[in-house]
Amino acid sequence: MPVDVLLFGLRVISGLLLLAVLAALMLILWRDFRSATSAARVSRRAYGQLIKLTLMGEMMAETGETFALTPMTTLGRAPTNQIVLNDTFASSEHAVVLLRHGQWWLEDRNSRNGTLLNGERITLPVIITEGDIIGIGSVGFRLLLSPA
Amino acid sequence: MALPVIVTPDEPAAGRRQERGLLLLAGAFLLVNFAALALLRPEQTAPWLHLLVWILCAGGGSLALERFLPERDPLLFPLVMFLSGWGLVLIDRLAPGFADRQTLWLALGTAALVVTAAVPHILRLLRTYRYTLLVVGLVLLISTILLGRNPSGFGPELWLGIGDVFFQPSEALKIILVAFLASYLSEQYPALRPDDVHRALFSERHLWLSPRILGPILLMWGVCVVVLVWQRDLGTAVLFFAVFLLLLYIASGQTLILVSGGVLIVAAAAVAYRLFDVVQLRIDIWLNPWLDPDGRAFQIVQSLMAFGSGGIFGQGVGQGAPDFIPVVHSDFALAALAEEWGLLGVVVVIVCVATLVMRGLRIAVSTQERPYYALLAAGLSLLIGIQSLLIMGGVLKLVPLTGVTLPFMSYGGSSLLMSCVLVGLLLRLSAGVRA
Repeated sequence: MPVDVLLFGLRVISGLLLLAVLAALMLILWRDFRSATSAARVSRRAYGQLIKLTLMGEMMAETGETFALTPMTTLGRAPTNQIVLNDTFASSEHAVVLLRHGQWWLEDRNSRNGTLLNGERITLPVIITEGDIIGIGSVGFRLLLSPA
Repeated sequence: MALPVIVTPDEPAAGRRQERGLLLLAGAFLLVNFAALALLRPEQTAPWLHLLVWILCAGGGSLALERFLPERDPLLFPLVMFLSGWGLVLIDRLAPGFADRQTLWLALGTAALVVTAAVPHILRLLRTYRYTLLVVGLVLLISTILLGRNPSGFGPELWLGIGDVFFQPSEALKIILVAFLASYLSEQYPALRPDDVHRALFSERHLWLSPRILGPILLMWGVCVVVLVWQRDLGTAVLFFAVFLLLLYIASGQTLILVSGGVLIVAAAAVAYRLFDVVQLRIDIWLNPWLDPDGRAFQIVQSLMAFGSGGIFGQGVGQGAPDFIPVVHSDFALAALAEEWGLLGVVVVIVCVATLVMRGLRIAVSTQERPYYALLAAGLSLLIGIQSLLIMGGVLKLVPLTGVTLPFMSYGGSSLLMSCVLVGLLLRLSAGVRA
């Protein structure tokens, strides 16, 4: 019965092709997973640091404390902030440092005593760069960015 | 072929190779099965025309997408073509009279997929005209209730017909509702997500139970009730409600929504069991089909038989006997597939659908910073996923049977066309990821 044999052969090939589809899908997904994990590893790099400064007479001096920068770093007296300030001049939700469109921004959150950027009080969100000094009450932070 | 650009494994070139490879495998699979069909039915005209149309659709669609959308997800299109081509084989084998029609719908569907993916501002258009679309969708729903017919002359009247062409509006309504909810919920994001940037910046208070949130909940609930009460369309009602619940959960991140939604579904099922004979029948034959295996539970019992006789590798195309299942070519396509391609075939179908859904959700994750895109991608892929789960579970008697089609594979023009539009939107979203 050649038709039977032929049909059986076609069944076997059809089954093998189904297995091949499964294998191809698994291979593509596995490769995709690999490249996604390596991409995630790259993007989890450190953004930079905020170096805490304090007023010593006329000078700002480093206290030795540093804080890791995140895409949204909140500063204030409330314990929910990422950087908690123990300063009587700081408001509970004082300021925020944000990463937006590839730039770092400093924004005042309607604090009572205001936020200073390099000694000047800000009213609107401003772009900040390496070396800028953020002033809140008697405390300061110098921005130190990691190379991209 | 030496390209002057630096090619990393993740660049479009690799994606193109993967897409072509999968399409070739799918084409070979269809060729083998159509050949077996032609051998088994020498007296009938060979099904080669259907295969030819499929090849033209796959090749033309791939080239057109390459031209209009070079940076797209490489898996979506070949998976869709594979499943719909396999569906074509199934229909040709189970209901040869319908195969020409389904082939025509496949050509239309592929065209719709390419057009949807190629229109540059389709996502923005969907968002801008969402209220218009919603009104159109609701008008379609109401006109189906008033003017609906059934092409076969009996059964639920869910179709709108012009002359000889029938269309099932609930298929279009699915996409319209998901697009509407995605744009609406993304606008309400600040209120829904109190722990987000907005709350941190503006100290916005929680706006639960405001009309802005309750409005769409009541709308969706109303649509589901209308579909269930006036149309007796259990599957669509359950699908709408489940997708909506999950979208709301994704938008808000509140577990409470899932819990209360689950409670609501169980409560609704209990009430519907008392009130509607269709729900009562479905649940009764789900709990025990053997009380009436030759009568009301005949379909599901025959479906289980088909699964059993398929074994691991199946009987081979055209060599099983799935014809015992009434209307096997629409809702019970998976049972026929299980009989002729066996466990292997079912596993491949499940993996393909799961991959489609997974890629869709991946698109949603990678567009997270734009809530509208993310919610749209998640909603569309959940639509495919939940619909497949409902009908796959239904024919296997894992969940009560709800009459929805198996996406891409069941016979049904409107279902195929709208699933293609849906994948076109997903393709467009996947290209927007890098833009």
